[in-house]
Amino acid sequence: MSNVIFNRVKEFLNRFPPFHFLDSATLLAVAQVVEVRYFSAGERLFQKGDPAQDYFFVLREGSVHLIDHEDGKDIIVEVCDEGDVFGVLALLGKRPYILQALAKEDSLVYAIPVSTFDKILQENSRVSLYFAAGFASGQVVVRRDLSQVQKARSEFKEISQDNGLMIFTGQSDMKFSEDVLCVQQGTSIRQATIAMSDKGVGSVVITDAKQFPVGIITDKDIRNRVVAAGLGYDVLVESVMTTPVITRRKDAGFAPLYLTMIKNRLHHLIFTEDGSDQSPVTGILSDHDILLSQGNSPAVLINALMNTWEVSEMAQVRNRAERLLKYYLENEIGMEFIANIISEINDIIIQRAVQIAKKKYDEAHPEASKVKFCFLSLGSEGREEQLLRTDLDNAIVYEDVPADQAEAVQAYMLQIGNEVIDILLHCGFEPCPGDMMANNPKWCQSLSQWKQYFSDWILIPDQKALMHATIFFDYRPVYGHKALSDAMTDHIYQEIAGKSVFLNFLAKNALLNPAPLGFFKNFIVEKSGEHRDKFDIKLRAMMPLADLGRLLVLSHRVVGINNTFRRFEKIATLEPQHKELMLEAGKAYEILMRMRAIEGLKSGSSGRYIQPDALGKLQRQLLKNAFAPIDELQRIMSVRFQMEYFNR
Amino acid sequence: MGFLDFIFRNKPSKSNFVVQYEKFMIKKQAEFTPIDQLNFTILDTETTGLDIKKDYIVSFGAVKMKGYRLNLEQSWEVYLDAPLQNEASLKVHEILYPIEISPLKDFAADLLKYIDRDIIVGHHIGFDLGMLEKILKSFGLKQILNPILDTQALAIRLEQGPHFDRRLMRKGEYALDALCERYGIPLDDRHTASGDAFLTAQLLMKLLKLAEKKGIKNFKDLMMVY
Repeated sequence: MSNVIFNRVKEFLNRFPPFHFLDSATLLAVAQVVEVRYFSAGERLFQKGDPAQDYFFVLREGSVHLIDHEDGKDIIVEVCDEGDVFGVLALLGKRPYILQALAKEDSLVYAIPVSTFDKILQENSRVSLYFAAGFASGQVVVRRDLSQVQKARSEFKEISQDNGLMIFTGQSDMKFSEDVLCVQQGTSIRQATIAMSDKGVGSVVITDAKQFPVGIITDKDIRNRVVAAGLGYDVLVESVMTTPVITRRKDAGFAPLYLTMIKNRLHHLIFTEDGSDQSPVTGILSDHDILLSQGNSPAVLINALMNTWEVSEMAQVRNRAERLLKYYLENEIGMEFIANIISEINDIIIQRAVQIAKKKYDEAHPEASKVKFCFLSLGSEGREEQLLRTDLDNAIVYEDVPADQAEAVQAYMLQIGNEVIDILLHCGFEPCPGDMMANNPKWCQSLSQWKQYFSDWILIPDQKALMHATIFFDYRPVYGHKALSDAMTDHIYQEIAGKSVFLNFLAKNALLNPAPLGFFKNFIVEKSGEHRDKFDIKLRAMMPLADLGRLLVLSHRVVGINNTFRRFEKIATLEPQHKELMLEAGKAYEILMRMRAIEGLKSGSSGRYIQPDALGKLQRQLLKNAFAPIDELQRIMSVRFQMEYFNR
Repeated sequence: MGFLDFIFRNKPSKSNFVVQYEKFMIKKQAEFTPIDQLNFTILDTETTGLDIKKDYIVSFGAVKMKGYRLNLEQSWEVYLDAPLQNEASLKVHEILYPIEISPLKDFAADLLKYIDRDIIVGHHIGFDLGMLEKILKSFGLKQILNPILDTQALAIRLEQGPHFDRRLMRKGEYALDALCERYGIPLDDRHTASGDAFLTAQLLMKLLKLAEKKGIKNFKDLMMVY
């Protein structure tokens, strides 16, 4: 028996699920019976059809491929990296292996006796649940799959220790009034009410002769305890006030203060000099203050946006929305909800910006301002997926006007576009590097010109047209006459119907970036000292999925679904034979959005570049799993669209 | 200090377990046994110093390997009651006090039982053997009779060929750390006897695979002396 060696094995296992569910003593017992096996590159660990061994395996070092053999072809089903658990069918009894395991590199493998683990499976419900979930979803490698997004989300929480309350940032943001209305005991309700009315406040603090607080009266108290109770207005304040009062120091920190209020069901918390009720009043914090100054509810933000014409205030609200986003991400709120809320806030900012612009220019352009137009969001914003304020992509479409008015109308529309872009930049959005914005004359055009654009792209799908297609096909009306954008949609489907070769080109474009399945393989190499690159999650993972989603939606003539993950959900219903895959792809996209947003918030960037070695094991697995549907979809699309192309 | 007198006796009488071991070892390993059928005991010792005459074993660790499988259940770790522990060795090995003190006789008997007829493997094994034989001598065994394989020598043979002039070797090139790094074996905590035995065992598996690729197929090829 060697404790040194056991501890080494134990420490390794403890880093990975399901072993980290085990308590120390149990894990040590597992480590003691481990068999360390060595396979050189090209060696087979087990063959498809072999009876299951008395062990299952954990990869310690190296790389193992799980390979299926079908119709004379080898298909790599899984690439295992460090810590992956495989060969687990052995746990279900002596069934033959359904795949072949091949050491792709020299590999050290920990073989864990089934007999030992059987007991643990029976005794530890978390471990058994973990394996059961794996078996149920038909995994060959046990790890969390996409259907367990919910659980995995909690892992992301570790990125920040913030709890829900911390969304109310620090003390510095906490607004409360220092100018507190106080009256002394012995004052009549009539006088107190007049004082409240004069000051325009909803509460009054009652003090004793030393100016120490003894009670509080609010609007509600006057309604319930004075008027409804039929008391006269000469009754003294001390007979109706709420007493005693709960007091705190104003620098007690937001979270404890807020908790005090919640716990005691207080609407008002009184600050005193030393925090006790035996010292003078220095301020008052109302629940209304909290809601307004720190408001974490989307309703408050939206309300604030609707009630301002000040660009600087809009910018502030948008910053607060980012905090809201962080809070949502950390609290495992569903991606669809998050995307909806953030898009809604962005949309309101845009709508407000258009209104501001119209206010500014309409008077000078009495004729042009009557022309119907529609402000469109494009690209990720068009897909309602823009969580962070990355590139702005937008455009304006307006109804056709007689030739003699064309110039004046475009000039007006450009002014509107310019103003809107200006406001959005003020609100912290980044300009589009390719100038695909409503202030670009090229993208501020009449309906017939837009139709012409789309016809051209569809007719001659060269590289540039396809690039445009990936952005302009994801448009969404945000302000103005939706009929104009509907007309564009009708036009696009008419054009595509005649020239389906366009979809083949679009498919080709969607297949340009192959799924980064080899990524983690490289990652293993990187660890041992070669180049350490960051991973471009947008280009390598999100764009391929968004492209595939768009392609499928266009090919099925689906109208009005812009979200990539909702597109996949819709396609799952249209292609029942690929239902699972489509749903997986949608989930994968959600995960990628989440990862990108978290990375972006963490690093104050677009979140596009992820540092693989900064990811935990579980996040890496999650990311890796998210790549799998890309690969499979690309293979299906390549067959579906290239075949058609060659048959023409 | 009774057992010290024992050590310095000129001709110690053979203990029973030594007699048994010598009888047992008369049967030799068949020369054409393929590598994956051979039994290996991979061991390492930590000592109070580098002088075989003066220094003593502080701890001993060993694992067994057959067919490229290390069974951890058969690993063995012993902390010995060294007659003296000088400060320098404490600094290197950080062993402040023995964890499980075994009387030397028990250890000697257990050791001979443990190594069975296995090929004994170690990194720079000569030193460890010298240390172990010093203990065994006091029980009447002149030398360990098992076949001996040095992973350092094996690595040099595989990388440089059998007739390599060792004077051309760079210092440290074939140290355990350097080899582990070269062969991609994760180095964790070194400088414990079992830890190093575990590393050496992993190194051995890699070297044996390499040896097999180079045509070293069986016991005879492996133990060939140049």
